[in-house]
Amino acid sequence: MRKVAWTTLSFLLAVALACPAMAGKKTIKIGLNVPITGDIPKVGEGSKYAAEMWLEDIEKAGGLEVGGKKYPVEIVIEDNESKAESAVKVATKLITDDEVLVIVGPQSSKQAVPAGEVANNYETPMISPWSTNPDTTKDRPYVFRGCFLDPFQGPVLANFITDEFGFTKAAVLYDVASDYPKGLAEFFKEAWEAKHSKGSVVAFESFTTKDTDFSSQLTKIIKSGAQVLFTPQYYNEVALIVQQAHQLGWDKPIVGSDSWGSAETVELCGKDCYGAFFSTHYAAAGATGATKAFIDRYKAEYGYVPDDVGALTWDSLRLVETAIQSCGKITGRIEKDRKCVRDALARIKEFDGITGKMTFTEEGDPIKCAVIVRISDSGEYEFYKSVCP
Amino acid sequence: MVFFLQNVVNALQWGSFYALIALGYSMVYGILMLFNFAHGDIFMVGAYIGFGVATGLLALSSAAGVALPGWFVLVLTILLSMVLTALVGVTVERVGYRPLRGAPRASAAITGLMIGIILETGNLALLGARRISFPSLIETATYNVGGVYVTNKKIMIVVVSVLLMIALHQFIHRTRWGMAMRAMAFDYVVVPLMGVPINTIAAMTFAIGSALAAAAGILFGVAYPVLDPYMGIVFGWKAFVAAILGGRGSILGATLAGFLLGFIEIFVAMVFPSTLRDLIAYSIILVILTFRPHGFFGEPHSARLRL
Amino acid sequence: MQGTVNQRTDAGTQRGLRGWLGRQFGRTPMIGWLAGALVAVVLEQQVGDPLSELLGLPKIPVLFGFNVALKKPLLIPSALAFELLIYALPIWLVARVASPVMNRVSGILYRLPRWVSPAVHLAVLYAALHIWADLSAYRGITLRLMLIAVMLTLSLNLINGYMGEFSCSHPGFMALGAYTTSVFTVGLFMNDKLFGPALLPAAAGPWLFPAALLLGGAVAAVGALVVAIPSFRTRGDYLAIISLAFLFIVKSLIENLEFVGGPRGMSKQPNWATLPVVFLWTVACLWTINNFVRSTMGKALNAVRDDELAANAMTVNTRKTKMMGFLFAAFWAGVAGGLFAHVLRYVNPGTFGLQKLAEVLAMVYFGGLNSVYGSIVGAVSISLLGEALRALEILKWIIIPLLLILVMIFRPTGLIAFTEFNVRDVLRPKTGPDGEV
Repeated sequence: MRKVAWTTLSFLLAVALACPAMAGKKTIKIGLNVPITGDIPKVGEGSKYAAEMWLEDIEKAGGLEVGGKKYPVEIVIEDNESKAESAVKVATKLITDDEVLVIVGPQSSKQAVPAGEVANNYETPMISPWSTNPDTTKDRPYVFRGCFLDPFQGPVLANFITDEFGFTKAAVLYDVASDYPKGLAEFFKEAWEAKHSKGSVVAFESFTTKDTDFSSQLTKIIKSGAQVLFTPQYYNEVALIVQQAHQLGWDKPIVGSDSWGSAETVELCGKDCYGAFFSTHYAAAGATGATKAFIDRYKAEYGYVPDDVGALTWDSLRLVETAIQSCGKITGRIEKDRKCVRDALARIKEFDGITGKMTFTEEGDPIKCAVIVRISDSGEYEFYKSVCP
Repeated sequence: MVFFLQNVVNALQWGSFYALIALGYSMVYGILMLFNFAHGDIFMVGAYIGFGVATGLLALSSAAGVALPGWFVLVLTILLSMVLTALVGVTVERVGYRPLRGAPRASAAITGLMIGIILETGNLALLGARRISFPSLIETATYNVGGVYVTNKKIMIVVVSVLLMIALHQFIHRTRWGMAMRAMAFDYVVVPLMGVPINTIAAMTFAIGSALAAAAGILFGVAYPVLDPYMGIVFGWKAFVAAILGGRGSILGATLAGFLLGFIEIFVAMVFPSTLRDLIAYSIILVILTFRPHGFFGEPHSARLRL
Repeated sequence: MQGTVNQRTDAGTQRGLRGWLGRQFGRTPMIGWLAGALVAVVLEQQVGDPLSELLGLPKIPVLFGFNVALKKPLLIPSALAFELLIYALPIWLVARVASPVMNRVSGILYRLPRWVSPAVHLAVLYAALHIWADLSAYRGITLRLMLIAVMLTLSLNLINGYMGEFSCSHPGFMALGAYTTSVFTVGLFMNDKLFGPALLPAAAGPWLFPAALLLGGAVAAVGALVVAIPSFRTRGDYLAIISLAFLFIVKSLIENLEFVGGPRGMSKQPNWATLPVVFLWTVACLWTINNFVRSTMGKALNAVRDDELAANAMTVNTRKTKMMGFLFAAFWAGVAGGLFAHVLRYVNPGTFGLQKLAEVLAMVYFGGLNSVYGSIVGAVSISLLGEALRALEILKWIIIPLLLILVMIFRPTGLIAFTEFNVRDVLRPKTGPDGEV
């Protein structure tokens, strides 16, 4: 028995020592903290695919060029299972064990808020492409986000509906357990009531994540006499809400937010969604230039039109790329490089992303323009109007 | 009044799903005294199988150049998927529950929970994270009956569910197998000694429960045509509440409790701010159980734990 | 206790791997193992970096090389060699070679006042864990969450194992504890937009943190009354759904409480749940629950589980017993929740849902019912597996459930079920006057 143990050990040692030591070349490591399993696997998949495409580009170019030298790039993808504690563990692992330069993700706020704390404590730049909770970036110089905040989108939509239709009574249906729709619903209500009068949001109804039946809430909304329904939900719920609304006799306009911005909205919803409006920073159909190129390429590679989360992840990675490049050089001392990348990110002005131009504010939030999109009678997303802050 | 009636219609549809799924729970719980925590996920598998069968049938018919009427495809889909999902249910029983017969009941509940996770993740691994849109087999027709909006789908869902429940009731009360099941529910230890084949009965119980779940899954796909791998979790747990609320082994109880749960959820959202729906709805359940601790039709001594 | 004695006497005669292991290690007392672990981690701290460089590893493999092995299969031999050299070899050496010395140390400790020996063991254990976790922050966070998982598992085991009921409300109790504690600490000690400026100086905070945790536990226990009063009126499975309804209610309640942030959750908890704090609370939890289940009360709990009528006839106040057990378990779940909130420094109601419930249930049944040992084993192994297999992504959630199903099939009550955790017996020397051999 002892012999066996010794033989194994010496064999392993021999093999280990014979293996060529890791190449000493400096690689740029980027961590991706995304939910591949858990509640929202779709989000993780979209982010992962976008990252793979980005990496492909870099590899085609022979590495990321910083200050005249090309460095190989490695993306470390970790699954955070869509759980807060897991996102914290992943962030810690990426920072201290994998020693990544920058972290992209987590996507949803319930993971991005605690993971942002970790990133900020370890002075590692982190961009959350998708998190809209103000707490994610608040008082955290090292944390950025790739999307705009609710306080902007709410008023944009309230103004749009008022100007476009001249309505005075609105109804809102949102998911109370999910912070993005809830936040947006509240900002919309605030903006709408400031514009009209108190109580002009005649129905403010909610449901809980994973609900599929909204008939009770919709019946109430219809009874309230609202002229327009605003529902800042994700595309899977949008399909159900819009269909059920029509089945219950709703024939007035329905307006949504950027979370509608997926090709699947129309795919799942069908004819019921034709004629609806939503605000977005990224209009999949009717896109031009780099945005169109991205969508076409993604569709060719993975078989479906990317969600907003894919596009935002792509933009975040491109932001990271720009920041690293404008940093000038990679010293190999990770703390210094991280600081440099963070400063470069904060300095970025007028970045031309596929989801719009952005400049970061003091808090690390981008300023972007919003686009109002109408779903045409053939199910295409038509550019309708552009609104800038 | 119209507002009230509209919500009654809404609740009937919503309650049908709870009732159909609760029946599967209640059968297994009543006859084998097990919590089948995989049941919610069997419902999900049923919906996906239904999706596969329906798409397959549509593709076949278009390849053959025959335009099958939508309702025909739907009926065929329901029947075929019920059979296929019943097979899944029997497999689950064989793999996860039969080896644990005689073990503490809670252990079997845990295997069920784990099988559920495997079904979800397996689905995720096989089909990817995309949500699937259930093919719309019948055109939605909306009828306005004095201000109350009813669709043909709603009517169909309620009718099919009630028919299935009646069929199950007849089976349990009119056939020899049904009698064997009732006997098992009455005494789990002695009845097998009298020559009732316990394994066959167990398999049959799972098969029937899963077939009902499959029917619920397809009807669900018709009403809410967005499928995702995790759709069964919350549904499963809530139907579990309904099943036990109904009283052990009572078909009628589970059906009524399922509808009751649907009505409570819909009407709480109607009367109170909908934000408070879960809070109030489950507080009501808590109050009901405080005053009726054995459910609607359960007997006081019947739910003895054999741990 | 009986089992361990038999195993040890058999070991000398058994053949094969088990017999060999028994002969090699049967005489090593607990302190020997702990000392071995301490030596190993000190070794890793001192020579880990150069050794991993020598072996071609990019860094010290943090979680026993699993991550390295799954992500870069080429490095498997190096990782294995590292683990063997740093962990297996020193532990084996200390456990085997130093076992006479360790037995003597253990014997001296054994004869000192009863509290000394556990205290020394815990100190050595903590030292080893501390050094181990100090080498990587990732280990630190994993370890802290693992200790919290031990507390949760053990407290749920009290209900599901010792009491024989099926409770689904544990995440709810955790949420109550987490939120109460967070409101206490954030409200009193932090400048926060929800609660305004700090009311007390931050320096007093760490000293009042235990009070906050106790308060969290107490609120969880009060919440448990809502479940306990209706469900213990009769015997049956109604606890399962009442507790499930309670879980939905708590989640919905917190989502509607704007002053704790609603679904957005609460952040900015002070960083007070450090490793020593979590470790001490875990020890306290283990100690009190172990004493509870070994007391008359605990035996009464078992009696109620096995036959309530008979227990009643033997003058056990069944209702009171069940209440006590349930509230006690809820209390510890609340404390664990409070620590959890301060480790993550963020809570939101979504965390305490059905997913968490499945996780805790899995840990309890994997480790073993009615056993303190089992709970430790279950929580530690499921947490570690979850971390070690992280790189497998989707596959991980097929492997872990499969493993659990296999455990259930071959050991229906869990890996180490129905054992008593006799601290004094575990810590006694294995040879010499106080030994059993």
